[in-house]
Amino acid sequence: MNQRFQDALRGARAGYAELRLRRVWSTTILIRDSTVEAATTSLETGGIARCCSPETGWGVTGWSDDEHLEAHLVRAHELSLAGGSRRPVRLAPIPVRQLEAAEPLPDDPREVPLHLKRRRAESLAGAILAVDRRVAEARLLYRDEVVETWLATSEGTWLHDLRPEVSVAALAVAEEEGNVERALGSLAARAGWRGLDAAGLMHEVAGRAIARLRATPLRPGRYTLVLDPAAAGALVHRAVAHIARPRLPGADPGVLVIGTRIGPECLTIGDDPSAEGLRASAPGDDEGTVARRTVIVQNGVVVGHLHSRETAGAAGFAPTGHARAGALRGAPYPRATNSYLAQGQGTLDDLLRDVPLGVYVTDVLSCDATGGRLSFRAGMARMIRSGRLAEAVKGVQIEADVLHLLGRVDAVAGDFTWDTRDEHCRDGNAGRVPITTGAPHVRLVDLAIAEGIS
Amino acid sequence: MIPRLLEALAGRVAAADATLKTDDVLTLGVGSGGDCRVSGCRTRTSHLRVLLDGRIGCATASDEDQVELATRALAAAASGEELELHLPAPSPLPEVATWSPPAAAAPADALEGLARGLAERLARRDRRVETWAERSAGTVQVANTRHVLAAYDATLAGVGALVESLGPGAPPPIRVQTSAAALPELAEVEALVIEVERRLAPAVLQWPGPRFALLPVCFAPRAAVTLLRPLRAALLGREAWLGRSPFRGRLGELVCSERLSVADDPLVPGRPASRPLDDEGVPSRRLTLIDRGRLVAFACDLRTGVAAGVPSTGHAWRLPDAVPRVGFTNFLVGPGAETRASLLGSMSKGLLIEDLEWGPGLNPLGGVVAFRAPWAYMVDGGEIRGRVEGVSLSTNVFESLAHIRGIGDDATWLGSHCLPSLLLEGIGVSVTA
Repeated sequence: MNQRFQDALRGARAGYAELRLRRVWSTTILIRDSTVEAATTSLETGGIARCCSPETGWGVTGWSDDEHLEAHLVRAHELSLAGGSRRPVRLAPIPVRQLEAAEPLPDDPREVPLHLKRRRAESLAGAILAVDRRVAEARLLYRDEVVETWLATSEGTWLHDLRPEVSVAALAVAEEEGNVERALGSLAARAGWRGLDAAGLMHEVAGRAIARLRATPLRPGRYTLVLDPAAAGALVHRAVAHIARPRLPGADPGVLVIGTRIGPECLTIGDDPSAEGLRASAPGDDEGTVARRTVIVQNGVVVGHLHSRETAGAAGFAPTGHARAGALRGAPYPRATNSYLAQGQGTLDDLLRDVPLGVYVTDVLSCDATGGRLSFRAGMARMIRSGRLAEAVKGVQIEADVLHLLGRVDAVAGDFTWDTRDEHCRDGNAGRVPITTGAPHVRLVDLAIAEGIS
Repeated sequence: MIPRLLEALAGRVAAADATLKTDDVLTLGVGSGGDCRVSGCRTRTSHLRVLLDGRIGCATASDEDQVELATRALAAAASGEELELHLPAPSPLPEVATWSPPAAAAPADALEGLARGLAERLARRDRRVETWAERSAGTVQVANTRHVLAAYDATLAGVGALVESLGPGAPPPIRVQTSAAALPELAEVEALVIEVERRLAPAVLQWPGPRFALLPVCFAPRAAVTLLRPLRAALLGREAWLGRSPFRGRLGELVCSERLSVADDPLVPGRPASRPLDDEGVPSRRLTLIDRGRLVAFACDLRTGVAAGVPSTGHAWRLPDAVPRVGFTNFLVGPGAETRASLLGSMSKGLLIEDLEWGPGLNPLGGVVAFRAPWAYMVDGGEIRGRVEGVSLSTNVFESLAHIRGIGDDATWLGSHCLPSLLLEGIGVSVTA
């Protein structure tokens, strides 16, 4: 493949040309109670060619086989010349490297027969139903994939990478005396067939659905809020890392402005695509730049952005290795990978100790932001009374200005963990990429909790 | 390719069906500085489903290796769902316009004209405007071992804008777009401009309180698309026939206000989801779902039909990396007789919602949902008094649809939805700004 790429690039007429080919083998199994609703396999190939010259913008073309690489480059070059008022692209330089990282997978999901995967999925769905007689329905989505990527540029960069991923998503429906409640959960790992132990998740999801049967709706008002690491990670990603890049056509319009104070001293936030073994980790990004950890917020002040070669070139910085394609045939944009909130000090008990009345959020459902306002919803929470966890509540919903919300952070614990849920990030036309978030427990004071649904 | 594939499988499986979809997309974007970018994408996806020893096996692929695709489908059947699938036989197909030659042939220059035209109309000193125009031209081929072999060509063209207001206290960004089989006409582009200006005109208003109240709310067509997501889920597929839809077992009953009529119509000419047959080879037809509040039908595909003991309504879709699934085509809500001014005039105090953001709930089929409403306007005495920030709405959609106070005459196409404004009573309004 390397030779074919080099041959094609040799004939490219553009100043800069890039070819990426990605092949995805995947299996999807959907179980509803004890019935298999789907067991399917897919093999999808996606290619993209990008070209630009000193006087042109990008020309991009995508396709779905591994043939005619030269023709795709010609078309990309033609598209780079189409349309008026092109803004020339200035790519920040990167060291040329050749990385062959497509080692044989020791635990390759492609080698495992479908009936074994089906049996495993049925067993997990059965485990949800077996937790309690009140669990009336279970659904389980098992998915594995192996992604092989070839990337070459006219500058001489060559990357060949082979990566597995396994994920499980579970839904439990609990019913009691006409009251019906649901709970969702997921796990994902950058690993092979045996790389995911999901048995605990099944019990946990069923347990949450049952707990919601007895949980009372939270009374709207002002509370101290303690977020568990998953909830804190979701907040940090959406409010900070998601918009920690320059403005880009087609992407969400929000931008975190460098030099702005967005929170207290205890907030240090970054993004680390080089973190060991996480889903969004990779030896290089989709432009061939070496992935490296980038600090976005240092002690409450925005100090850095995540960059692609294009945005780094325009801003006069070095690329950070965050150029990620949001689709098989999509162009790379600077995107968050493994976003984290750096740990502070102390434990969850330390955060709870001084809280007379508050809410401990443990089951984040959604966290989204538009135009500087953030919306956060949780499926389950516990009341905090006199420094101790008390009864279960539901219907936690926060609508607040992002800066107002981050300004309410008053303590960050020292118990950092990465969240292993199957999470993705969408960004306008830039597509959808897998992400991981990591954080310790976090406390926010005097926050308005709205009337939510329960 | 498909007939040869099915021919090769004919003696080895009880039944099989397949689709082949190709698409050629050209997209042109104009950035806020007037710079433009062009991208193209050509794709093909094959879907194969086999019935072997009473089990279903599905496989998809993007390349042309038929042997590999068949091998994987057969392997999947060994572990697949047990189902007595009966594939349709050939039958006459209805005629429907899905193809526009000018759209199929539109070059980058034509798309640039559209995108720049919209950008110029929306440009203001205190705004950042991005626009884009896109066209795609594709083919869909459907075949099965009962000798169905049909194909149709389809185009889709559209233009859209992202408008971001600048300065302190600026409203959130607006995304608007229009799409259909043909290239957008001037009137359609102008309608986007009118919508943007209408939404941006009112100044921000301090909500007089209370922080939470039950109020009448008028949902403009774009907001109504999001509001009705639970209704669409309740009318669809396995959940409707056998699952947890609140409408299950209620065919023929009054399930919402008699003002409401809902249909799905794949035969509307030139709309994004128009097609002569579905992805399982079942001929398309208009399906009335709710007639003046009375539940008339659910949408289903072959698989749901087998489980429920009913015929397919022709609503199967095959997407990349998926088994066939049931989904709507062009979803229509019948317009009423009232103008928007009349709807607003019938509220003493309430809200007009121009757009909504879906808030994922734990139980959408129960109808209990919460939405963020960044585009909310206070209405008092029939007049829009100003835009309100920090609004979220909560309601049980099915209960609200039982109490529709009015339906507008302004049915508007938004992608594959055609909806009018809906005025609903007793919506939970929470304001935190």
